[in-house]
Amino acid sequence: MKKQIDIAGLEGARAIVLHPEHDRLPVMLRQLRAIGLEVESAWPTLPASAITADFTLYDTDAGHDEQFPWPAGHAPMPMIALVGSEAPGRIEWASRTGADALLVKPLVASGVFASLLMARQSFERRKALLAEVEALRERLSARQTIVRAVSLLAKKTGSEATAYDDLRQLAMAWQMTMEDAAVQIVQHNETTGAYRDCS
Amino acid sequence: MFENFDIGILYSRSGTYQLMSEALFAGAMSAIEDVNADTALPIRFTPIVRDPVGDLTNYAPMCAEILSTSNARHVVGCVTSSSRKEVIPELDRAQATLWYNVPYEGFETSARVVYAHAATNQNILPILGWAMRHFGMSAFLAGSNYIWGWETCRVARTRLEASGGTVPGERYLPLGDTSVEGLIAEIERCRPKFILNSLVGASSYAFIRAYAELGRRDPQFAPEYCPLLSCNLTEAELPVLGDAAEGLISVGPSFCDTPTAEGRGSSLERTAYQSVMTLAAVLAQGVRGPFDCYLAEHGARHGIDPVTQHKTLDVHIAQVRGGVFQILHSWHDIAPDPYLTRPLRHPQFKKTTLTAVHA
Repeated sequence: MKKQIDIAGLEGARAIVLHPEHDRLPVMLRQLRAIGLEVESAWPTLPASAITADFTLYDTDAGHDEQFPWPAGHAPMPMIALVGSEAPGRIEWASRTGADALLVKPLVASGVFASLLMARQSFERRKALLAEVEALRERLSARQTIVRAVSLLAKKTGSEATAYDDLRQLAMAWQMTMEDAAVQIVQHNETTGAYRDCS
Repeated sequence: MFENFDIGILYSRSGTYQLMSEALFAGAMSAIEDVNADTALPIRFTPIVRDPVGDLTNYAPMCAEILSTSNARHVVGCVTSSSRKEVIPELDRAQATLWYNVPYEGFETSARVVYAHAATNQNILPILGWAMRHFGMSAFLAGSNYIWGWETCRVARTRLEASGGTVPGERYLPLGDTSVEGLIAEIERCRPKFILNSLVGASSYAFIRAYAELGRRDPQFAPEYCPLLSCNLTEAELPVLGDAAEGLISVGPSFCDTPTAEGRGSSLERTAYQSVMTLAAVLAQGVRGPFDCYLAEHGARHGIDPVTQHKTLDVHIAQVRGGVFQILHSWHDIAPDPYLTRPLRHPQFKKTTLTAVHA
């Protein structure tokens, strides 16, 4: 099924706006509140509460890395760049800080809602991809464990041909995945020098 | 001594949504008459009337003309969302305010607009929730090919699917298109439990007539089994529909429970009337300057949410029976939620079958 944009979660969501005082800043803050968000603005220092905010909107004209307590590109929430100067260096910085969406100045009401939704979708997608990469990495390392477990079983039974099947049988008996069963066998062997057996 | 205020009136008196416009125009003009006849009020209105004749490209220049050639800082007008979006930059330049008196699809909060009629959680959500409970979880969606149609159908589809319902068909017609045979044939084929009609003007009238005919031919499509729902049908359009209107179900902040002549008394007319009266009351208090600043502080006094500039409204579901809207279900004082981000403001049903509140 196509992933639908979740709007309902915006109510009571907290947005931190990291931007210097400006005549037009209230226009954007008003719009964020109209959409249903709780808004806090700050400059130049992010308050400690920012770490749990649901969105960060930040000025790219005067912004710099040291303003954020997290490594560039690893913000724990969707980031929206407020772009004035389109000098390539500034756009590069916006991108490096991990902008999930951008709003071009002058600050206005229109576009704010769209950028919130875009930023959140892009952030969620990025998070899901990272989680998937992590899971694949784990499975990759689990494959090495399986190879070790199979060779341990082969030593015990003397048959390499059936060892993989033995592992599958053990996993079923222990009601766990083959990867977890392999970890058990390898760990047991490491701590006792013996094979864990299902008997 | 009376102080005079020019007030812009920007309604298309011809074109496909003429009947809605006429109701709005009548409401605004009758309020102006009442204000001008009220000796207790220290103000008088002079209407500055422009007619964009249903042509989208006329709205911005005409709005600019009203604002530059008179002292008007308030414009009562616009029917379609596209025309409203056209005039907002002009209003911005002059720090002027549009009183928008038509139900719309939400997802906008301009500081230059008072949204006086129903938005998303006051029209599409309640009528859809009600129909899902009374008729079933399968809806055919028909709409005019522009923002109102698209967004109404999108919200409907999302809600239905989130609740385990289905959308067996979804079709759009160009504005003004009256070739509805394909639409009718498709509905006949896929046999939904109800139909959500967000067509407007001539397309809608042609569709309603053809569907009434289908209902006569095949009772399964009669209103008691598979009704036609609309989020913006009012008394203003009943005369042109005649008998074909029987059984139509609509949603709105008010309905007339007695027959009215020539489509008078609709919520469109009443809303336009109330908007002008609200403005008169505010001006009579001596309030001047940017209107959004006033609303930010005192909007709630007039039922206008200071944050979104949308109104808190009653919501009624009503069905045309014997040529008159009969109210079937009501909620009172539903606060606006134009972005559908505040589920607590959504009309609630006693027995809930909705499982999710994703928009």
